[in-house]
Amino acid sequence: MEFEKEETIPLSVVEKKTSRRSFLKGALTTAGSVATIVTVGGFKTPFAEAADPAKKKDKMKYLFAVRENCTGCRACEYACSLKHEGVVRPSAARIHVTKYASVVDVPVICWHCDDLPCINACPTTPTAIKKDPETGAIKYIDDKTCLGAKCNKCIEACPAGYLRRNPDTGWPIFCDLCDGDPECVKACAEQAGNPQGPCLMAGKLGFGVNMAFRDVTPEEAARALHKNFFYPNEKGERR
Amino acid sequence: MTTPRGGYFGKILEIDLSTKKFKTRTIPDEVYRKYIGGSGLGAYFLYTDLKPKTDPRSKENFIFMGTGPLNGTYCPATRVSIAFKSPYTGIYGHSEVGGNFGNEIKWAGWDGFLIKGKSPEPVWLYIHNDKVEFRDAKQTLWGKDTYATNDAIIRELKDNDVRTIVIGPAGENQVNYSAMIVDRFRAAGRSGGGTLMGSKNLKAVAVKGTGWVPVAERDKFHDAAKNAKKLAVDLEAWQGIKRWGTAGLLELKNFKSGSLVTRNYQTTWYPDIVEIGAEQAGREFWKRHQSCPNCPVHCMKVGVIRGGDYSGLIAEAPEFETGTMLGSNCGVADFDPYIKTIEMCDAMGVDTISMGNVLGYTMELIERGILSHKDVDGVKLEWGEPEAMVEMIRKVAHKEGKGGKLLALGVKQMGEKIGKGADYYAIHVKGQELAAHDPRGDKGRAYSYALGQRGGCHHEGTNPKEHAQWAMLNSLVMCSFVGGYPWGKYTPDVFTAMLNPLCGWNMTGEEYWTTGKRIITLERCYNRREAGVSRKDDVLPKRLMTEKLPEGPKKGAVVSPEEMKKMQDEYYAYFSWGDDGLPTKETLKNLGLEFAIS
Repeated sequence: MEFEKEETIPLSVVEKKTSRRSFLKGALTTAGSVATIVTVGGFKTPFAEAADPAKKKDKMKYLFAVRENCTGCRACEYACSLKHEGVVRPSAARIHVTKYASVVDVPVICWHCDDLPCINACPTTPTAIKKDPETGAIKYIDDKTCLGAKCNKCIEACPAGYLRRNPDTGWPIFCDLCDGDPECVKACAEQAGNPQGPCLMAGKLGFGVNMAFRDVTPEEAARALHKNFFYPNEKGERR
Repeated sequence: MTTPRGGYFGKILEIDLSTKKFKTRTIPDEVYRKYIGGSGLGAYFLYTDLKPKTDPRSKENFIFMGTGPLNGTYCPATRVSIAFKSPYTGIYGHSEVGGNFGNEIKWAGWDGFLIKGKSPEPVWLYIHNDKVEFRDAKQTLWGKDTYATNDAIIRELKDNDVRTIVIGPAGENQVNYSAMIVDRFRAAGRSGGGTLMGSKNLKAVAVKGTGWVPVAERDKFHDAAKNAKKLAVDLEAWQGIKRWGTAGLLELKNFKSGSLVTRNYQTTWYPDIVEIGAEQAGREFWKRHQSCPNCPVHCMKVGVIRGGDYSGLIAEAPEFETGTMLGSNCGVADFDPYIKTIEMCDAMGVDTISMGNVLGYTMELIERGILSHKDVDGVKLEWGEPEAMVEMIRKVAHKEGKGGKLLALGVKQMGEKIGKGADYYAIHVKGQELAAHDPRGDKGRAYSYALGQRGGCHHEGTNPKEHAQWAMLNSLVMCSFVGGYPWGKYTPDVFTAMLNPLCGWNMTGEEYWTTGKRIITLERCYNRREAGVSRKDDVLPKRLMTEKLPEGPKKGAVVSPEEMKKMQDEYYAYFSWGDDGLPTKETLKNLGLEFAIS
């Protein structure tokens, strides 16, 4: 995968790569350990570039999360609830970060699927929610149509295990991508010191890949991350 | 009596473990404005609620888990402050810890929990918004280490997002310096809060909230908070902490500032630090960075040991304080078992700073022949024996054998018990062990250690003004990294710009400093009332004032008694206290602390 960890790329390959990295050459020749650090810090994934506010596209259709980069700072939850609720209230945010085994943080996002499982599952006519073809936002058409706490169809249909209810009204919360300019992505990019690079990405990058990612529930993703980061010893133990 | 306009809910949850009842206690805005919250409010409750000279382990003593106005708002890096009468030092004790626990208290709709009484059976509390459940801990949790307790609670509640504060076996057995652990890795270690929870038979508190914090003027506050966060993001100094965590200071303090505590304060030169420092951890151990809520600094580094005897061991380590006290202070230079000692302290729920100090102290006593291996049950406590340390930590946490019981006392009481001149090597102030900055190499820390109100604390500020600032941070319950260095050097503008629109106040910079002074003075009054603390107690241990540093960048440095006296005078003058180190009547009147005049 393209967003694989930088340390695994052999130095010779790094040097041959695009001119964007040529400034690193000097550092690479000096000391091995230092070079690795510089590479990790200075490396920008294609995703990171797209997350750059200056290059942001007005129309966007997908949100994307590089799960292993999440540090669990919850800045996305804060920014989201601030935009939609006017206060910081993570329980009503359109994105949330869950912890697994206290060592892995998993961002749980709406992947804005092209095949619309939640909308197809909606029992009302017309459906209470719709997807904006321009921006990819999923929104309520009309507040009165949704059956609210009585119905569980869209929540069951969501393959990513993303949908949850507003703690006050009992209605599911949908991600409207802030109409093409998601606050969570900006907040994530602003945590610029994160040595792992930003986690949330916006734009069309999710295309195709997001359909594969969305079938992984947060628990499965967390378990996979836990396995990958903290591999067990010979006896299969993690202590 | 007015209700707060924002930032506070105006109510705290008062829980009595003896009767298994709880009630709401309303707090007026005036009290908040005077004591802010967290440790300041805790000191106020201790002074007014508790009778003088209450036994700290009695059922009257309480634990105040307090938040500040900024908790749960957009302000980055907020924490939770736990205040109580310390069962360890017998004076005012408080301990701050990061993680998600403090914010969750706020989102559950409370400004804090005040837990008193004593449960006959082991119990744990689950607080979900305004519901409080007393759950049985005897079957499920008692005896488990902190990780297993945290996991068991999450499994029992079937909720990954519940936030916990737990104690380990050390707290259950009331080891004097046991810690409370938040979110598995964050520890509120100092002053023995875990001991108090253990004495109340309270194994854990879990909290979950779905609310939000009211804000008086939303736009203005959020602009100010975003600005404050930007300051933290931009600060150059944080680039190192972001990459290396506080462990980066290990090398720095050894090679540059000459204040790395080594072998029970014998020296500050420990070149072997490269074996156990940040670079080694970065190369071989760390896997992930973790962060407190909305904090751009990400100082937590989690790693796993790959291969060897400790293969598969997951820990959030090393940090500067833990890394020094269990590393150079015990002469350790073997990375894997060194991580195990740190992990063991967290799992058992003991304060790593005190534990490292106690172990270093015991090692020196054995080296000098004052103690023998027989006194510590034959455990080979010598410099650079981390496996023996792991064994000893386990014994201490379970108060197992003669050695375990002895070491569980802490250095001051150990020195008194052993005699034979052992108390000269006991490095403590007011009964609490010093931390990982040697005040001879870093003179500012002498202020913090000698004059800090909870005793032996590295976290009180390096000059009198910083003490007032730190008191405010502990009451706002802000991280002293994010809140202290970039914002607090040292103008209150960033804080008042946030507090005023948040709470609907019109606090000036002057009032900010007065509030800081008021909190310190009240803590001092409390300590005077409980233990007669005065100028005679505000000194460093004798060793640090007589022995010169034998080597390293600060060779020959010592804190002379004259310097110490100058610091005391300067400190008392800044807080307008008397020459004996006690607040005068006039000062108390000016600060609005008439009730503390005795």
